[in-house]
Amino acid sequence: MANYANPEVLVETDWVKANLGKPGLKLVEIDVDTKAYDAGHVPSAVGFNWQTQLQDQVRRDIIGPDAFEKLVGGAGISPSDIVILYGDNNNWFAAYGFWLFKIYGHNDVRLMNGGRVKWLNEPDKQMTTEVPKPAPVTYKASANHLDLRALIPQVFEAQKGGKWNLVDVRSPDEFTGKVIAPPGMSETAQRGGHIPGAKSIPWSTAVKPDGTFKSADELRSIYLDQKGVDPNKDTIAYCRIGERSSHTWFVLKYLLGIKNVKNYDGSWTEYGNLIAAPIEK
Amino acid sequence: MNHQTRVYDNVFELLPNEQNPSPLVRINRMNPVPEFALYAKLEWMNPFGSVKDRAAWTMLQDLEHRGELGNGRGIVEPTSGNTGISLAAMARARGFHMRAVVPNKVPLEKKVLLKIAGAQLDVVSDELCPAPGLGDGSINIAKTHAKASRDKYAMPNQYENEKNVEAHFQTTGPEIWRQTEGKITHLFVSLGTCGTVTGTSRFLRSKNPNVKVIAVQPTEGHDVPGLRNVTQLGVSKLFDSSLVDDIVEVEFRLAYSRAMELCQTEGLLAGPSSGLIYEGAREIILRDKAGCGVMIFPDNIFKYTSNMMKHIPGLASGNQA
Ligand SMILES: Cc1ncc(COP(=O)(O)O)c(C=O)c1O
Repeated sequence: MANYANPEVLVETDWVKANLGKPGLKLVEIDVDTKAYDAGHVPSAVGFNWQTQLQDQVRRDIIGPDAFEKLVGGAGISPSDIVILYGDNNNWFAAYGFWLFKIYGHNDVRLMNGGRVKWLNEPDKQMTTEVPKPAPVTYKASANHLDLRALIPQVFEAQKGGKWNLVDVRSPDEFTGKVIAPPGMSETAQRGGHIPGAKSIPWSTAVKPDGTFKSADELRSIYLDQKGVDPNKDTIAYCRIGERSSHTWFVLKYLLGIKNVKNYDGSWTEYGNLIAAPIEK
Repeated sequence: MNHQTRVYDNVFELLPNEQNPSPLVRINRMNPVPEFALYAKLEWMNPFGSVKDRAAWTMLQDLEHRGELGNGRGIVEPTSGNTGISLAAMARARGFHMRAVVPNKVPLEKKVLLKIAGAQLDVVSDELCPAPGLGDGSINIAKTHAKASRDKYAMPNQYENEKNVEAHFQTTGPEIWRQTEGKITHLFVSLGTCGTVTGTSRFLRSKNPNVKVIAVQPTEGHDVPGLRNVTQLGVSKLFDSSLVDDIVEVEFRLAYSRAMELCQTEGLLAGPSSGLIYEGAREIILRDKAGCGVMIFPDNIFKYTSNMMKHIPGLASGNQA
């Protein structure tokens, strides 16, 4: 059986349990709804709020390097630490955090396979409401890998067809424009549908019923053989607000080892609002 | 306790059982096949207002008997409202605190009622593209409290607790058997935790293996509080498909229009899940033509005025001078 292209970026809950408290190992829970973190989290984990701490609060953007350094240093994390991320909603927001840590060049960041729900449902795993108070450190971002991110010019380029794989990871109803967003969501768009030429591969295609990633062989067969993602082309993944697509970006880039994969974080809430942009339904 | 004079020492003596069953009322004007006797079992006549009184009381009693409550330890429970309202009122009357975790789409009335009944309320977003097989946000938040704060919370967990089934096996089933004098041919129910369908059917089938059980479910993407489409049933460990003869799917908006019709033509102030069950029963009655059917009407319409305004045109207007 083939391995993931980069097996080191994924850790199991049992590994986390066995390594809790080791020096140089830092845990971060990233949630969209921090009620989850407040109710209980893995011992020693700090909590990041995706909406208020990973997004610029003025412009629509990811946080810049200064804010990232302040956030991560404030959580007591040094550039040499191993950072383990996990979170709610099947690690979508943790995957977004992973993307951000990689943009700013953090060397060793990993996802906990299965996220907080897997940990929650394993009887031998503890949870606590105790919020750690780490001593802040000075964190210097070592890079600014904006090539991991797709902005609208590349999306237009990709949309013309031929050179790129465009992967739409939203639900089938969002892809066809039957709905603009999942029910109850506040961030939305003026138009429904998808970017011309995009393949519909819902994010959940990548996971087993317990939320952990499918095997490398299964993933390869689904994404490359069945869905026709061409590993020799550059790839852009998108969803509605860039969190589900971070999850698929992680799969394509790190588990399957496809070279140039970008996450389009503007996603449908940007594209579906553009004037005169071509849309398919 | 005296069921004749209806004088009781405490509210719990009012809880339903074979000696004090919830009422069975015959459907008249809305019965399309008069030879098919159709009855509604009015669960809103229970002391805390819904069918969930039965499960809530059995689960609470079990926790108390096992010494799981007290010394600052109360309960936490994920709920679409009714279980929470029953549990909160019961727990508070027994001296325990209660925390209710509800999905955001629960009607406003239920959220406020939970607080009035004495629950601490957590509202969580369940809609964010449901994850495969991992359970709902509200269930997971409740489980997190129970795990991270063991000293503060015990979790009955109506989705997995066999006591939920047992409650209906010991009360709802025997009540119906006695009230219909064993003549019941069809049982019509909805699916939430599935405690009602599993417990009641198991009892009735033990008396007469030929009793037909019909589960009525709303269409996917529905807005009928308390209910699940079978695609959402993964979270309920209590569903036993071997007990169900037919699953009738009903367009969910009919739950609201049928509830309104029951209010206006039968004088039964039934809630949306009752409206849905009625529509399913109607379809089966037209098919089977003769029999004696019992519909379990989970609760009344009072907690759903805001939902009714959403789904019944005209109700939202003309309410101000
Ligand atoms: C209004 C309403 N209808 C129906 C049900 C379903 O009952 P059960 O959970 O026993 O399947 C519930 C309970 O969750 C409810 O609150």
